[in-house]
Amino acid sequence: MGYSRYLLRRLGYALIVLFVIISFNFAIFRLMPGDATKMIIDPMFTPEAKAELRRQFGLDDPPLVQYVKYIGSLAKFDLGLSFSTRRPVINELKERLPNTMVLFLSSFVLTTMIGISVGVYTASKRGTFADSFVTGAGLFAYAVPSFWIQLLLLMLFGYYIPILPIHGTMSAPPPDGFFLQLLDRIHHLILPAGSNVVIAFGSWALYTRNTMLEALGQDYIVTARAKGLHEKTVLRHHALRSVLPPIVTLIFSALPGMVAGAVITETIFSWHGVGKYLLDAVMQQDYPAAQGAFYLIALAVVTCNLAADVVYGIVDPRIRVGEGGAK
Amino acid sequence: MKVRRFLLPVAICLILAMTYGSITAGQARWEPYGPYVDQIIMPIIKDSEAQLIAFNRGDVDVLPGLTRPADINIIKDNPNAEITMNYGFHMFYLCYNMRREPLADDVLRQAIAHVVDRDNIIQTLFEGYMLPLAAFLPPSSAYYNDEVPTYPYNPEEAKRLLDEAGYTVDPATGIRIDPKTGQPMRKMTIYTPTYEVAPTSAELGKIIAEACQAINLPVEPEPMDFPVMLDKIDYHDFDMYMLAWSLSRIPTSLWNFFHSSNDVEAGYNNPGIRDPELDKVLELLYDAPNEEVAKQAADEAQLILARRQPYTVLYSRPYMDAFRKDRFEGYVPMHGYGAANYTNKWTTLNIKPVRGKGGTVRWLLPEEPKVLNPCTGSSAYEWEVMGRLYDGMMEVDPETMQDIPWLAKSWDIETWEPAPGQEGTVITWHLEEGVKWHDGTPFTSKDVKFTVEYLKENQVPRYLDNVQKVVKVECPDDYTVKVYFETVSYWHLYRADLNFLPDWIWKDVEDYNTFEPWLEAHPEVSGLTKLIGHGPFILDQYKVGEYVRLKKNPIYWRLPAN
Repeated sequence: MGYSRYLLRRLGYALIVLFVIISFNFAIFRLMPGDATKMIIDPMFTPEAKAELRRQFGLDDPPLVQYVKYIGSLAKFDLGLSFSTRRPVINELKERLPNTMVLFLSSFVLTTMIGISVGVYTASKRGTFADSFVTGAGLFAYAVPSFWIQLLLLMLFGYYIPILPIHGTMSAPPPDGFFLQLLDRIHHLILPAGSNVVIAFGSWALYTRNTMLEALGQDYIVTARAKGLHEKTVLRHHALRSVLPPIVTLIFSALPGMVAGAVITETIFSWHGVGKYLLDAVMQQDYPAAQGAFYLIALAVVTCNLAADVVYGIVDPRIRVGEGGAK
Repeated sequence: MKVRRFLLPVAICLILAMTYGSITAGQARWEPYGPYVDQIIMPIIKDSEAQLIAFNRGDVDVLPGLTRPADINIIKDNPNAEITMNYGFHMFYLCYNMRREPLADDVLRQAIAHVVDRDNIIQTLFEGYMLPLAAFLPPSSAYYNDEVPTYPYNPEEAKRLLDEAGYTVDPATGIRIDPKTGQPMRKMTIYTPTYEVAPTSAELGKIIAEACQAINLPVEPEPMDFPVMLDKIDYHDFDMYMLAWSLSRIPTSLWNFFHSSNDVEAGYNNPGIRDPELDKVLELLYDAPNEEVAKQAADEAQLILARRQPYTVLYSRPYMDAFRKDRFEGYVPMHGYGAANYTNKWTTLNIKPVRGKGGTVRWLLPEEPKVLNPCTGSSAYEWEVMGRLYDGMMEVDPETMQDIPWLAKSWDIETWEPAPGQEGTVITWHLEEGVKWHDGTPFTSKDVKFTVEYLKENQVPRYLDNVQKVVKVECPDDYTVKVYFETVSYWHLYRADLNFLPDWIWKDVEDYNTFEPWLEAHPEVSGLTKLIGHGPFILDQYKVGEYVRLKKNPIYWRLPAN
């Protein structure tokens, strides 16, 4: 009963947050200075042509009318027509979303797996050269700008050791046959996903290492070791298991951040995804396109936060008791 | 000082640029037949570093639109690369707000023009890869007036002009006195985009401001967010700003930019120049009955503008395109558009492999074409694809920039009476016979009539200037078409030259805005989409975000004999 109320309350918060975000989403682009039609008008356009474009874009309507239309359309998941392409934004996002998901999920899974494994390993080798090296490398990769590392990798594997594709999700044109096409796509994924791993594994490794070190100092670990358990068993079944709940919730919280990072990766590797779409839309003041992309990201953020709350409620009963009152 | 003298540094820059590495500004041989390659694959690579790597490692054969000196230097070192260089229609300028004092004074603007050191700017900021320009049309334009006086770099002359006009230096502040107020001049700003968005523009603002300060003018640079800057320009809330225009070979841009009727909010007359003498000449240019009158009017307009200096023009960016000369030949440098631009029909037709026949040329697309609809496509990247699917009534000679008959084997420009006492222009196109659409249907005068009427009826913004003054279209026979305009203007010839639409595809299109012809299959011919033209290539595949593939049109009317 307490958990249900906790969930309902969290869901209510999520919906409110979403509503506020989409309202801001509407306002923020209209508050930006400049005329949306300016970006697509050339000097040969007549005043009549400019007026016709503004009418077609619905920019002649009062802001309140535009807002009501916007909310009404969103309720039907109609994100409108892009100003720059006149195509339905939902279709443009559908074309790009699978690419972003592939890049983002593969990067995320690899980053967390490698980062957590390295964290566990370095915690068990505290003070050794391996610990110092991995910690230093992780800190370095985390501290330097991500685009710099990506450009270095682009130069290294694109030019000096030209073994990897440097742009796109497939060859132009792709090979024939499903299996060859799959290999081709994986080949194209290596550099962008690999660069994301290089950039982000360090923070996961450091977080896991520090939490593990804390856990390894606890009494139950001493007890496990005193029982004569093998060190690997102590690490995996006792220490790691006790630090997993905060790591799992951190995974959900970190998901939206990775989506935001997709903008840079997609730009550098010409990856046809939502991140680059958002960047172009903002630069061109393409309100419907930018609103659509932001809406999608906001939805992802709210959903991930909700998922984190749900998971946290499961792994730590004190949270839901605190939220719903003592039972 | 005449522009001819001014062209000396241009030549020096070009020679310097061509001294090392393989850069050519000469003309290649070309013929009006082709294409010679079987297909063009256009990989979409957006990152400039990745573009460079892709070219140098051979992933692409054509890298269009080089702008960064560092990239040009790297490609010059590649023995398999050739860079072509041509004058462009680009113009970078400093605009003055003539509505505001003290910038309303011609002498002050002329003095500022004298402190612009174009050669130094081009050498320091662009390593010599720009062409100094002081005229209001670029040299690639057939209407460029090389007799126009300029204001060569001469700070002493600037000081003399100001002193003579009463802008004496106030010994207390070191700032010149405004003779109209008797007070030190107010601070004036130069708006530029920010360093993050356009570093060279921002740096130029700083350089010009410092040059003004050196002659005791209180000018400061102010980089700002680009949309904010555009907004301020629209509402005339600026002293000076620096931006660029991409012009065309038609000089009516002078009317757009400097006629007093365009001095309105969000109009194109940003400096706010209102000069009856200039207006008269620009009206003559806009409504010129023939080429000769247009040329005279353009010449005169440039002379007035040079004197009044609503802009001080700084430089023009040449078109520089890189080709893999170890694999391909036949690319044709062309003034105004470069060798790789879609407007250059001759490279599209003439490019061929160095060894063997046919083959695939890989032609880089630096951005997503997004929408392949001739009614709504607005970006250069969309036309890089669509431009190779269509032919025009006329094409442009790459050397002389003169019109060459193409789909129209000839044309007549006459006048008619739209109403008693009124005069209008009639353009008569005499079409080539034997031209076919990609699906095999003959291209006839009815297609021209349908296109003009469709664009006018639907008020398509992109073509509104082309069709809004058309009264009617007549087809005396299948290969003759007459387009009647309600006014007289030589430029109606170019307005009547459109990207023609096949009526059997477009007549049922209810909303041209949402029509996606490249995604819909042709109703009768398999392998084709509804995006068909009569040009040398056919759209075969557009893989969004990845590449575009164009295949040779096997029924093209200008295929080579063998």
